[in-house]
Amino acid sequence: MPIRTPHFPDLLFDAARRLRRWEGALMALLQRHGYEELHPSLVLREPHEADCLRFFDGNELVALRSDFTVSLARLLSQRFPEPPPRVAYAGAIFRRPLQPWEPVERFEVGCERIHEDPEGRPGADVELARLLLAVPGALGLRGGILQLGHAALLRVPMDQEGLPPALRDALVRAISRRSAHRAAEALADHPAAPRLLAHAETLLEQLDGAGGLQALSRSPYAGALTRELEHLHGTLEALLPLLPAGLTLRVDPADVHGLPFYTGPTLRLWAPGAQQELAAGGRYDGLFPELGRPWFAAGFCVRLSRLLDLAETRPELFEPLP
Amino acid sequence: MTLTPAPLLLALPKGRLGDDLMPLLEQSPLALDREALRTRALRIPTATPGVEALLLKGSDLPRYVAGGVAALGVVGSDTLDETPVDVLELADLGLGLCRLSLCAPEPQDLESLRRRPHLRLATKFPVATEAWLEREGLTAEIVPLSSSAELAPLLGLADAIVDLVQTGSTLRAHGLREVATLARCSGRLIASRGAFLSQPERIQPLVKILIQVLNRK
Repeated sequence: MPIRTPHFPDLLFDAARRLRRWEGALMALLQRHGYEELHPSLVLREPHEADCLRFFDGNELVALRSDFTVSLARLLSQRFPEPPPRVAYAGAIFRRPLQPWEPVERFEVGCERIHEDPEGRPGADVELARLLLAVPGALGLRGGILQLGHAALLRVPMDQEGLPPALRDALVRAISRRSAHRAAEALADHPAAPRLLAHAETLLEQLDGAGGLQALSRSPYAGALTRELEHLHGTLEALLPLLPAGLTLRVDPADVHGLPFYTGPTLRLWAPGAQQELAAGGRYDGLFPELGRPWFAAGFCVRLSRLLDLAETRPELFEPLP
Repeated sequence: MTLTPAPLLLALPKGRLGDDLMPLLEQSPLALDREALRTRALRIPTATPGVEALLLKGSDLPRYVAGGVAALGVVGSDTLDETPVDVLELADLGLGLCRLSLCAPEPQDLESLRRRPHLRLATKFPVATEAWLEREGLTAEIVPLSSSAELAPLLGLADAIVDLVQTGSTLRAHGLREVATLARCSGRLIASRGAFLSQPERIQPLVKILIQVLNRK
């Protein structure tokens, strides 16, 4: 059945004005904090991800940029012997959507914090979280929810138990849905099921700020997660005094969104009641080593196309355009 | 300033699952207003102020929750697994228990179906059927139907069916038998991701009430 939703939506006056304004405000925010803009080419000539839009340039198969982080990582690892520490970007990506009504062309602004010293991780993560706290104000978004998770809280136990890929996927899906019964179904006869299910229970406990992390001390893997929990506590302590009015911080160890990619703390920004996050990011220490560089990195991306949709459907969430 | 719309909506299913659920809600804080039920009211007040119910067809219900219209909902896992939506699945309510099974005319069994060069399966559950075929390493033509799948093998439209089985009496009446179980199905409590994150203080108590009410069944 043909999908009639515009996959490549045209932005008319107000939406175009908002896009320009938001891009400008976010890039100014990032530049004030020392992030320098890079603009990777829209056309990729390297191997392409499966969800790319591909076409022939003469006899050569090329693709449109489908993700800034990966494009920037390729560019940086090829061009720089040492990583530029702070990088920002703005522009469009083209990606086949998971849901048929989502646009293929999406506008994003984001930043990456790259470093060589592993000890720099806590400081870099807090720096990014503080920047993300400033995003709603820059966008004129009234209120929001910052969801703080940590990919290693599920990754470490799964690694420790040597779960095969299919079982890992099923467990991640179950935890992402906050579904203990689906986790039990997935693990059924696995020998580590009692331990992993006890851990899942602690991840899924209703959480409330720093107190919520205490549940994880009852996990069978608490010993293996000491460093990650200290890191989360440290991040929380640094962020709580900085929370702007109208922004709520929710610590959610069950937020396993993007687990195959992220390796450490994860952040997502939501508008109250909105069904999709408006910004997302986290630590991804696996990408640069894959590209031959022993660098560590974290970043986040603000999904301007979703914000434009939200401004149309729920204008009361935003300050009016001047 | 409160930005989320009040009241909070609870999506409840019409049909067999709804018939099982409604009597359990009576006398509970989520009992539906009898007067409103007799009218064509879209939103049915409950015994808890600020909480209203929507009565929806099961196949539509997950979309109302995923879209954030309803904060919570009750839906069968068979329906949920067929609907590509991002919702939280907070509890298995153990309601409307049944199984999704591969059923074939007597005396066929799974091995005889496996040996067919071109297997045709009629079903209302193509997503779960495709997932099972993949797990089993089988290929089949799926014949999508919206009702009375059990007629398909009798009339030559398909070799077997994938359908919900509760007691098995309908199958036996049509000369069919279960040859494999694909999944255990039951009513699930689902929640909108955005609402759960935005208003946990309103949603959590309702989740507890629903689970307590259904545990008493």
